[in-house]
Amino acid sequence: MEGGGDSFGSSTAPLAWHDFLERMRQPSAAEFVKSIKSFIVTFSNRAPDPEKDSAAVQEFLENMEGAFRAHTPWAGSSEEELESAGEGLEKYVMTKLFNRVFASVPEDVKSDEELFEKMSLLQQFIRPENLDIKPEYQNETSWLLAQKELQKINMYKAPRDKLACVLNCCKVINNLLLNASVVSNENPPGADEFLPVLIYVTIKANPPQLHSNLLYIQRYRRQTRLVSEAQYFFTNILSAESFIWNIDGESLSMNELDFQRKMDSARERLLGLSADSENQDNQANLDAQDRKSENLKANRNSDARLSMKDHVQGSGQDMRRDSDVTVDGKPVERVQSISDIEKKGAAELLNDDELNKKFQEYPFLFARAGDLTIADVESLLNSYKQLVLRYVALAQGMGVSPETTLAQSSQPPSDLVGSEEPENVNDNEKSEGISKTSDDVISENDRPEALDIKTSEKMTQKTAVDPNDDLEALKDEAPCQPENA
Amino acid sequence: MGCSSSLPASNAGGLSNANNVSSDTDSKNFRVKLVLLGDSGVGKSCIVLRFVRGQFDPTSKVTVGASFLSQTLALEDSTTVKFEIWDTAGQERYAALAPLYYRGAGAAIVVYDITSPESFNKAQYWVKELQKHGSPDMIMALVGNKADLHENRTVSSQEAQEYAERNSMFFIETSAKTADNINQLFEEIAKRLPKPASS
Repeated sequence: MEGGGDSFGSSTAPLAWHDFLERMRQPSAAEFVKSIKSFIVTFSNRAPDPEKDSAAVQEFLENMEGAFRAHTPWAGSSEEELESAGEGLEKYVMTKLFNRVFASVPEDVKSDEELFEKMSLLQQFIRPENLDIKPEYQNETSWLLAQKELQKINMYKAPRDKLACVLNCCKVINNLLLNASVVSNENPPGADEFLPVLIYVTIKANPPQLHSNLLYIQRYRRQTRLVSEAQYFFTNILSAESFIWNIDGESLSMNELDFQRKMDSARERLLGLSADSENQDNQANLDAQDRKSENLKANRNSDARLSMKDHVQGSGQDMRRDSDVTVDGKPVERVQSISDIEKKGAAELLNDDELNKKFQEYPFLFARAGDLTIADVESLLNSYKQLVLRYVALAQGMGVSPETTLAQSSQPPSDLVGSEEPENVNDNEKSEGISKTSDDVISENDRPEALDIKTSEKMTQKTAVDPNDDLEALKDEAPCQPENA
Repeated sequence: MGCSSSLPASNAGGLSNANNVSSDTDSKNFRVKLVLLGDSGVGKSCIVLRFVRGQFDPTSKVTVGASFLSQTLALEDSTTVKFEIWDTAGQERYAALAPLYYRGAGAAIVVYDITSPESFNKAQYWVKELQKHGSPDMIMALVGNKADLHENRTVSSQEAQEYAERNSMFFIETSAKTADNINQLFEEIAKRLPKPASS
């Protein structure tokens, strides 16, 4: 069977990127370097216009790839080598242009915010059944793995690397579905099974700026390489996005009124959170929250019968989780998110005399990078894993979704996955897609404009299974993250 | 279960596992995007798996799901067609997303289950949809699947045949379970595809 082979486009080995940079440093490549730089400079000086920008990049890449074919240092190279030169070029150019073209127009920024908000509401109440995911395929714990893959999308700048996050996410889902079908003796899963899970995973993962990320891949991934299987799965996430934009009661098999109520109460919860962070007194806080919610409710919905008390306390049928959680025997009024609890805890800690004692357990908390030695890596990694495990377990126990600041500011939950990931998730396509190298080796010595990115942190190639990878990656990739990640 | 039966498929006649990549579009070898439409549960993905694998082997590590599969078919005139087969979710709530999938498709297979009149209605909906929004030169096939369950048949082949003719489609009944007519389906589509002008 085919399919796997060209699935991730012309995947290039990690070596290819170095090879590209290597060749670009050769004197015979001077003309190329000049054209690339001049393109980047000209481009950067123009006002953003997504359509024109995309066309300009696509055209430039195409022309350059043509030129590579005819000139040293690539003349006479195999198709494969030319292909990876094209990949290298795309990565180089787009890494340079990223800040200029990513979410560069107000409409995109606005869409990002709207989509993010919609998903953060939906994720609080959507159930697999709402999307026609059959019971034998439901496996929320394992879907976390797929969510983590998708959440990595903001760690990369190159279109291909971002695309790889989407593809890895799809791959994890496919593997889980396939395993489930074998276990339950079902037919092998097709799109009927796949798309609903992808939608569910996307909503739960809710990566910031998803809309802009997808547009960016669409616009700046070289079109001749966004084909076949990669194109199919990319179409699936576009279609997931489209579905999510249009979600209403009907599309989730819910009564429309019921749907609106769930959305409203999800919104209140989020608003409740921001009220929380401003107020440290717990009880007063809850009261204030109630009043605030009530006002909001009254403004939005003049239906007086839905008073906040009834709505929140007597609504076992409404918010499934409300009835799952009890404190001192009485139902908790609303499920707090992790960040909610975190904020409360932080406030309490500030008033805690034994603060130091509490942190003794965590020897690295106040360490600086320079203090660490190689020998610390193992224990650091262990502490880290423990922390993540507790964190995710806590989140799971709370019934809230664990992606909060921690997940978004780095990639920690994927470490949890580390050893447990199905082995084919970690196959070479992934390690190729994920392997990171210094973007700017080409200019580390003599090209001043390159200094903007991490020249000091040149990395050697690693495979994705290297336990140190994520630590390094975190350091290495942090500057790449779009601001609001 | 539909397509996991162990009967070997009669696919010896010309399937080859070519691993060509993007540059294979010339007058001898070309590739085509084929989209599968139809209600959920009619066996869309089983048809494809039958075609691609002959038989489904659940222990195989290679398969990562049947939503996208590709298969190259060698024709008698020594051309080869690489089918890139795009499955779509058949549930009603996802119907509005289909245009994203059939955009740019050179062929479409609309599948129904011969034991389910609802699925035949749904198939007719897809045919209309494709006629309205699909590319005008798309090759369309109407496929009545689960032909092995003929004792439960509720959609007569004559009715379907007539419907297909009225809509200038190719019609065939298949069984993904027994592999009946599976290869014929794809061979027929391949024959009907407009051959690209020689380069």
